[in-house]
Amino acid sequence: MVCKECSGVNTLLDIIISGLTVGALYAVGTVALSVLWGNLGMLNMAHGAMLGIGGYSSYVLVNSFDLPWWLGLPCGMAGGLVVGLLLYYLIVRWMFEKPEFTLNIIIATIGVALLFESLTVNFFGGQGQKQPFIFEGFIRLGKSTLPYQTLVIIGASVVLMLIVGGILRRTNMGLVIRASAQDRAAASLMGVPTRKVMAQVMALAGVVTAVSGVMVTSLTTLHPSVGHDPMLRALIFCCVAGLGNINGAVYVAFALGLFEMTIQYTVAAQFGLPTVLGLVILLLIWRPEGLFGHARVSHS
Amino acid sequence: MIDVMSNPRSRDPIFGGVLLAIAIIIPFLDPGIYFVKQLTLLFIWTAAVTQWNLVFGVAGIWTLAHMVIFATGGYGTAMIGLYLDWSLWVGLPIAALCAIFISYLIGVATVRLRGPYVAVLTLAIAVAIYALILSDSECFTYDELVCYQFSGGINGLHRFGDFGFKELLGFKQRFFGDYYLALAVLAFGTAFVIAVVRSPFGLAFRGLRDNEKYSRSRGISFTKYQILVFVMSGFFTGLAGGVYAGFFKTMGSSVVGMPLLLYLFTMMIVGGRGYIWGPILGCGLLMLVDDLLRTQAEWRTVVFAVIIIVVVLFMRFGLAGLIEQLWHRYVVQFFRLRREERERSMAAK
Repeated sequence: MVCKECSGVNTLLDIIISGLTVGALYAVGTVALSVLWGNLGMLNMAHGAMLGIGGYSSYVLVNSFDLPWWLGLPCGMAGGLVVGLLLYYLIVRWMFEKPEFTLNIIIATIGVALLFESLTVNFFGGQGQKQPFIFEGFIRLGKSTLPYQTLVIIGASVVLMLIVGGILRRTNMGLVIRASAQDRAAASLMGVPTRKVMAQVMALAGVVTAVSGVMVTSLTTLHPSVGHDPMLRALIFCCVAGLGNINGAVYVAFALGLFEMTIQYTVAAQFGLPTVLGLVILLLIWRPEGLFGHARVSHS
Repeated sequence: MIDVMSNPRSRDPIFGGVLLAIAIIIPFLDPGIYFVKQLTLLFIWTAAVTQWNLVFGVAGIWTLAHMVIFATGGYGTAMIGLYLDWSLWVGLPIAALCAIFISYLIGVATVRLRGPYVAVLTLAIAVAIYALILSDSECFTYDELVCYQFSGGINGLHRFGDFGFKELLGFKQRFFGDYYLALAVLAFGTAFVIAVVRSPFGLAFRGLRDNEKYSRSRGISFTKYQILVFVMSGFFTGLAGGVYAGFFKTMGSSVVGMPLLLYLFTMMIVGGRGYIWGPILGCGLLMLVDDLLRTQAEWRTVVFAVIIIVVVLFMRFGLAGLIEQLWHRYVVQFFRLRREERERSMAAK
């Protein structure tokens, strides 16, 4: 990906293209995490697993039924939907009203992540598989190239975020979700079925995460621990923006994605992640409630 | 006896003493090298998890960077042995002091954060350290044109020597040296944690965990005690790391990697976070499961994952909590009823 004899303009172009790509990917992930945190007060450590589910359901369904490649995305979404609902009905539902939910759900989702990873290693093996959802070809821009896949990813991410934003802002379901995020007891008294809303939120997060999973795995390969890296970043970006702040998380994802690519292109590829993590650690020490957050009392 | 056992002040030392006595006797029963080595590893993990539990369970600070402190002890001991050519016995306490310092830094970094923010930040620290060790490719020393990185990089550090138990105890008994060293770290570490939990510090930690606002309004400084609990947990964690380095004679980046972190995390949760004997129970159970699944290694993590989910769903206080509940429900209750009956019959007379 790194071009050796690049002129300044081309390096800049490369940085912007790859920065926007990873930024878009991370932004989708942070949206899912933020919605969950805002609504359930749940830090989803199984985010990486849900992401992997998206990738693997696309892979399995497309390959076993010989579907056209573009059906990979809806297949992944279906997988994410099922996993989101399963996670709610099998785990979240039974813990939500018990004390120390915030910590217990972290532990439980860590368990889910472990389970997913070890099962996929057992069934698919540890080596990488090829994600069917790939759009071949590229556009030349001077000396750097712009694969269609990148355009698809950026486009799909933006469309997805617009859809999620639309659902949250414009539809009845979104109204109910926002209402119960603000005050569950009050919403419940107004007749909002808060448990059903939680299931909807989990399903929504599952679908969004699965889409990001399909796209992430289309850039790399499909392997059991594919979700580790995107999950860590999504978690960090959410925290830097302030947990639950969806818009802030999207800005942070793009900003830090561009920053990381700048480091990778100008310094060295292996310092990208450590530098971002170092920056994030400093940011969190400086603004403990996140850049866009404000101090608030925990409701536990 | 039962009155003694129902009182936690005397129960902990008795229980610990019995365990310690059993652990001291085991090598004299000729249990075989494999068993001794597994127990040594058990002691090292338990020693680390016990200190983690002090921060995570007792003080309620959700740190996931504990293995960074462990690694500081291990890498410190190894590097002092490798680059300064000092005995590991000298390196071990120095590395443990370094571990206290790193622990202090982590405490300072997280002091303004709460709850999930702490978990995410400390996870970021752990991953950053792991990535830095792996990306270290600059040659620091050469040995016949073979390049060795300062931190060992992907290959880890080797050939820094060991604790010299082979010369001290003879070839056949050399594993017992590591065994007793690990046991000593575990025993002193656990005694230290018991003492801390019972001291006013322990009250402050638990107070801040259970109700921060109230504790602070009573004049307990959050900043002071959060940093203090990190400092307190650093020393024995560092020692455990150093003993690990000496035991395996190699130190690699895997100690800060995700699988080990999750393994030890599962131990703490399954054992019962916040309970003094939780880590021992959890480590014992998981290593037992691990050993039983030796032939089906691919199902090992699946079983761990199922265990952690079941524990968090059905027994939130872990094994230690379950045992305490059962103990109270049946044993203590039984003896209380009997005592009351006796007193009643005395009064009737």
